[in-house]
Amino acid sequence: MWIERKVLAQEIPAAAALDTRQLCEALAALGFPVDGVAALEGTEALDVDITANRGDAMSHRGMARELAAKLQQPLAQIAAGDMVEGAPLVAVRLEAEACPIYATAVLELGEGVTPEAAQSFLRALEASPKRLPAVDASNELLLRYGHPTHAFDADAIRGEVSVRWARAGESLVTLDGVTRTLTAQDLLIADEAGPIALAGVMGGDGTKVTEATRRVLLESAWFEPKVVRATARRHSLHTDASHRFGRGADPAMAKVARDLLVARLQSWCQARLLGAWTAGAVPAPAAPVELDLALLARVAGEAVSLEAAQEALTRLGCGVAAGGQRLRVTPPTWRHDLAIAEDLAEEVLRLRGYEHIPSVLPPMEGPPEHLAPGYLQRQRVARRLAQLGFHQTVTYGFISPEADALFAGPDNPVAGRTLANPLGYEYSVLRASLLPSLKATAEQNLRQGSRQIRLFEVAPVYRSAATGPREQVALAAVWGGTLGGEDYLSPARPVQEADLAGLARDLELPGLPPIHRLAEGLFGFEVDLAALPQALDRIIPGFRPFSRFPSVERDLSLLVDLGQSYAALHQAMAAALPGDSLLELRCVDVFRHKSLPEGQQAWLLRMRFQADRTLVGEEVDGWVASALAAAESLGAKLRA
Amino acid sequence: MDQLLPPEIVEAGQTFPAALAACGDLDALLRLKGAYIGREASHATRLMELLKTAPKEQKRELGAAINGLKQQWEEGLKARQTELEAAKRNRSALAATWDPALPPPQPPRGALHPLNRLMDRLVDVFRPLGFHVEEGPEVETEAHNFDGLNIPEDHPAKASSDTFYLAAHPELLLRTHTSPVQVRTLLRVAPDLAARGGIRFLAPGRVYRKDEIDPTHSPMFHQVEGMLVGHGIGMQHLKGTLEYALRALFGPDTEIRLRPSYFPFVEPGCEVDVSCPLCGATGCRVCKGSGWVEILGAGLIHPNVLTYAGIDPNEWSGWAFGMGVERMAMMLSQTPDLRLFFENDQRFLKAMGGLD
Repeated sequence: MWIERKVLAQEIPAAAALDTRQLCEALAALGFPVDGVAALEGTEALDVDITANRGDAMSHRGMARELAAKLQQPLAQIAAGDMVEGAPLVAVRLEAEACPIYATAVLELGEGVTPEAAQSFLRALEASPKRLPAVDASNELLLRYGHPTHAFDADAIRGEVSVRWARAGESLVTLDGVTRTLTAQDLLIADEAGPIALAGVMGGDGTKVTEATRRVLLESAWFEPKVVRATARRHSLHTDASHRFGRGADPAMAKVARDLLVARLQSWCQARLLGAWTAGAVPAPAAPVELDLALLARVAGEAVSLEAAQEALTRLGCGVAAGGQRLRVTPPTWRHDLAIAEDLAEEVLRLRGYEHIPSVLPPMEGPPEHLAPGYLQRQRVARRLAQLGFHQTVTYGFISPEADALFAGPDNPVAGRTLANPLGYEYSVLRASLLPSLKATAEQNLRQGSRQIRLFEVAPVYRSAATGPREQVALAAVWGGTLGGEDYLSPARPVQEADLAGLARDLELPGLPPIHRLAEGLFGFEVDLAALPQALDRIIPGFRPFSRFPSVERDLSLLVDLGQSYAALHQAMAAALPGDSLLELRCVDVFRHKSLPEGQQAWLLRMRFQADRTLVGEEVDGWVASALAAAESLGAKLRA
Repeated sequence: MDQLLPPEIVEAGQTFPAALAACGDLDALLRLKGAYIGREASHATRLMELLKTAPKEQKRELGAAINGLKQQWEEGLKARQTELEAAKRNRSALAATWDPALPPPQPPRGALHPLNRLMDRLVDVFRPLGFHVEEGPEVETEAHNFDGLNIPEDHPAKASSDTFYLAAHPELLLRTHTSPVQVRTLLRVAPDLAARGGIRFLAPGRVYRKDEIDPTHSPMFHQVEGMLVGHGIGMQHLKGTLEYALRALFGPDTEIRLRPSYFPFVEPGCEVDVSCPLCGATGCRVCKGSGWVEILGAGLIHPNVLTYAGIDPNEWSGWAFGMGVERMAMMLSQTPDLRLFFENDQRFLKAMGGLD
């Protein structure tokens, strides 16, 4: 909210002595940080941030009250005359508890416009003056004292006025020209012809004050915050009035604001008061709240004396009775946020200043807990992938139905994962897989000229279930583009599916996940992270003895059918070799060429042997011959 | 002449130059040599057999063709061998007389996402104080996301204009903060809280709010929540912990400042400022000349939050804080646009992320 400095100083004269920086610091220390300062209309206005619990602070008077308590300086008196009330000129019936008090007056307007000073004040606060005194005075009062009022064209009102709940089917054209269909939860001001205002939110168009208005009926009431909030939300109609009533206005201000409004109209346009009266009364204050000194000391971090606490709360307008080690506190009528002892403790601390809170590390009361294995595993996998040259991505959890369909299984219907109110169609589905997002990210990087794409993401994916989407953390990696060729030693080649298989093996995935071809030269896989091995129980594995004798390496070049299963061949050959001496058996090269017999390929199998003695050639030759025989039994032939 | 030769030999002849060029090293070249002119089962031996069995009147012409092919292959192989040997010698020479001025081969280098990196760092900072990590689902119930946090039933954040809801499950939403992890954790530990000696944890994670995507807004972002419950916990413990943690993050000279503020789930509530880590609190663009930067919101846990979880607020008390990860990352890195964190351009990730 904009707070104009000169008007603030009229409410608390001591503020005039503060420079802008001091004023901003004082407000921030009270919980009202200043977001900006604007020079407007030859004065300075502060953009003060007011939290949702402090409806009472949403005015110059409210800010001044806070500063007065903090600075221990007096507030200016409110210049309200003692208005003599009389018999109602129009009957006002309060039919709902949500409106306990309704102060009003009827005036006959005279000649005159809104004074320039008031217009300038409104402009400085970005509220445009209407040059209709009744309207401008109401707005000026609201910004200055925080109490919303309203002026009706008295001659447009038919018969008696009532504050009541709307009836189903009723409607009202509000001041903004919109026809509002009302519900039984909307509180209304109505005359005998129907609704004339949405209580605490906005007046009706049919009774608004215009240049032709001769007589006005003023409203200065108090409405239940919950009711006003609900109506404002239901009609998407958030006004200065609904903000203040919705956060809790001061019921004791109803009559005062009416008096101030009457006085302004009398002064601004020679209005003649025809009568003033009030229906209902200020509701009884809420029960006092007890503040125990032990609780205050616990919250504050140090003992605070009864007197100090009492003094601080009194400065804020509370009624305070001390007894033993506790205070009985009756909050002022404008504070609706002081409901429990902690609220009061905060007030005491706030006035003392949070800078006085001591700084203490909390003592340990029990042993610290370990990090969860699942969490550690995610950290480990992410670090490993980063070390391998992969970049971790963070992409949105919701994607378009088309993108989702690329990798969603048939048992994972999209309906169970669709948002009711997405930001847009392209963000409407909780994704079944990370791959569509990674594919899009990879393609975007390729368009940006990346030679090689190495991306991964660890994030939840969603599976439709009867009780709602189930989450499981997935790991997906994509790899594409050109490998190597960036220096004089590394030849360039395209990334292939086999590279992803190698990556999967490096991550110790149990078995090879499906490798998806996402685009030309771009591949990816995705696994449920729970499938990855958890961190080992042992810090380091148990020792396994190894030989210090030299190892022997032999290659076998085999011609095999193109359809030959490598796993089967590997298994057969390994079975024929002495397990205790075989260090390694693996295919290190594959040759496919027209020069080979039709339908065949050549595999180069490398065997490494080691034992607790020096191996002799003949012995190894024998093993290799056995392995060859095993291979031949599967149809392989030794290649010349 | 080609009509005299079998089609596969003709094709082998045609693909020879490409196959030769594809040989990247001497081993590959040897294999190609074996296939074309090897002594057994090569194209050359097949051609010689063909010549033997050819009718006499064709032998002369066929012999010339075969010799032409063989000569072409032999010369090609020899030339390529010379090239490859030269390349190998070149590499050996480069290896033997290394020129340090030449750009060396670079091991691959990836990166953790800067947001994850920052969250990990926060966890590291709080670990010595006995904090562990708690996590919760992103699809939440209203009860965990709002009700258990003392957020009034008619709070505007519950509106569909602010919070994403599931179409098929109107009671489910995408969590709007990491605070539901508080509710879940407190509910879980409440029965044996005394045996545990209270609880203290961080809850890093992704959250969702219905904000249009622009340089300072994103419908998905990250928060780190911190919470501690014990006996006699007050604002002094919040201040002490945050002072420790923020000094660990930003340096030992860092000062912190608490200002009153309001969040429904804490009382008292506060905003926490840190002396500007970029200018050393002398005043810069980031701190708008004030020397202070707002870094997180915090407060003492509201008694209603403890009561909801089945914890007696007369015995136990605690504090909680919540921090926006993107906001902090942008402040620290001076990244001008929030969207960069979700675009995942490899250049950005490499520059902003790291391995630790």
